[in-house]
Amino acid sequence: MWKIEPDRLLRWLKSAAGISILTAVAAAAMATMDRGPHVLVNAVVMGGMLALVSMGLALVFGVMNIPMFAHGEYFMIGTLVAYYVFTPINTHISTHPDSMLSALGPLITIVAAMLVGAIAGVASEVLVFSQLRKRSRENWVMNSFLLTVGLSVVLINGHQLFFGADFKGIVRFWSGAPFSILDVFISRDRAMAFFLAVLVVLSFWLFISYTRTGRAIRAVSQDETGALMVGIGLNGILMLTMALSCALAAVAGASLLFMYPSYPSVGLEPLYMAWFVVIIAGLGNVLGAVVGAFIVSLLKVLTVEYIGSGWDFVVPSALIIVILVFKPSGLFGSEVRGILDK
Amino acid sequence: MLLEVKNLNAGYGFLQILREVSLTVDRGEYVALVGPNGAGKSTTLRTIAGLLRPMSGEIRFKGEPIEGLAGNKVARQGIAYVSEAMNLFVNMTVQENLSMGAYTLRDKGLRKDRLEFVYALFPRLVERQNQLAGTMSGGERKMLAIGRGLMSDPELLLVDEPSFGLAPQLTESVFESLNALKKRGMTIMLVEQNVTKALAVTDRGYVLENGRIELEGRSRELACNDHVRKVFLGV
Repeated sequence: MWKIEPDRLLRWLKSAAGISILTAVAAAAMATMDRGPHVLVNAVVMGGMLALVSMGLALVFGVMNIPMFAHGEYFMIGTLVAYYVFTPINTHISTHPDSMLSALGPLITIVAAMLVGAIAGVASEVLVFSQLRKRSRENWVMNSFLLTVGLSVVLINGHQLFFGADFKGIVRFWSGAPFSILDVFISRDRAMAFFLAVLVVLSFWLFISYTRTGRAIRAVSQDETGALMVGIGLNGILMLTMALSCALAAVAGASLLFMYPSYPSVGLEPLYMAWFVVIIAGLGNVLGAVVGAFIVSLLKVLTVEYIGSGWDFVVPSALIIVILVFKPSGLFGSEVRGILDK
Repeated sequence: MLLEVKNLNAGYGFLQILREVSLTVDRGEYVALVGPNGAGKSTTLRTIAGLLRPMSGEIRFKGEPIEGLAGNKVARQGIAYVSEAMNLFVNMTVQENLSMGAYTLRDKGLRKDRLEFVYALFPRLVERQNQLAGTMSGGERKMLAIGRGLMSDPELLLVDEPSFGLAPQLTESVFESLNALKKRGMTIMLVEQNVTKALAVTDRGYVLENGRIELEGRSRELACNDHVRKVFLGV
């Protein structure tokens, strides 16, 4: 199954996906030689977390057909939960530096954020999206899009109302000296964030490809009627999808709390970045989103490095325009049906 | 009676399509539902399969009422529906599509038996095991759709327009596999526009016109019926 066939490899290299991945790798290598390895390290750490957010976005779009514009708010919920869980743990650690909590505390924090994220996802599915689905499925994409925008406004203002608009951040999760790889110092937090991202992406991929429920999720995304016909209960799958994708965003938010303190609109930047990724990768393509996340994050790091930090949204947007002109289905879009087919 | 439909009314929104449709299918029977375009044949199957909520009427399967149950629950009762559009999972391989067909079966041994059964019925699918369903030809997809339906070990197979969009040769081979199934005791309800063909292979038939059952009887007799010959065969 894993045999390498020369013509298939050649064909892949010539495809949009192959060209873009190769260009990205080459650009990363050149920038690393030119400016130093921190370029690569930054791109990879940010790419890992961006992958979590974008995967969730792609999943919600692919399975539920919802263009989710409230996804950043689940990231925000992750940061908020992490802040309120980790602050007391941190006080405990500072008085008892040798306790078990200094190692386990951050993990407990992230798991708590994941659970709350999943619950928030289920709540929004039950209270918002399933209500719309029950009433009308006409113009579903447009109506659900408007709902997500409304949900985003409500959640951002809810945060401001109940928790205030100030920055609620922490200095770091893990104390100790930074790791040094390739002459770059990587703080423990960044290294752990990347490690977590890899772990979550990998387990998610295994889940979606090999388990019965994972297959059912893919089946629903490919053909809802077909899924009903083989006996898959739609409501359960839709709820699970929403829970998973919101949990992914919350994990990203929680593990990046040391970089992004919690404040009401903290989710907007990851939301826009994730949309860049999902559009580049092809709407609804979950695995493409992982690769796309690294490409976008590299692009952003390179822009900051060579052009200036004010341009970090301009360049990806310009690239999206170019890609959509030449390849409307996205770079890896060939294997998924476009939104218009649904 | 395996399936019993009584005074079924169904449609889409304000548009009523089926009017007081009543029909029965007995265990082991091969029943045709024929009629002109737009008569409501597919609507009848969709309603039985739970993809469309009936406005009124009764559908009983093995004596239990199933009208108004969602599609996934109907599938779990033992009714497999092979739609005209096939509704395959296009980005999954043939093998994955078949294993999705057995989604409701928990017993591993039974799943394996069913897979062997389907592969024996459609040897072509064995060759295509690892191909994506979306990249196959129309005839192969039809076989896969029927195969996926059979994976759940159903007691009743509803087949919608197996000849739709297929070359005559392929149509023939799809009908042959349905015949083989019938010989093994499968209960099949067939919806078909090709009236001659459908009445030639089935035991019993219903003629649906404008949402009403106009005629019913043994297929051989229906094929000779004056009304049928005039309306469908142009004789």
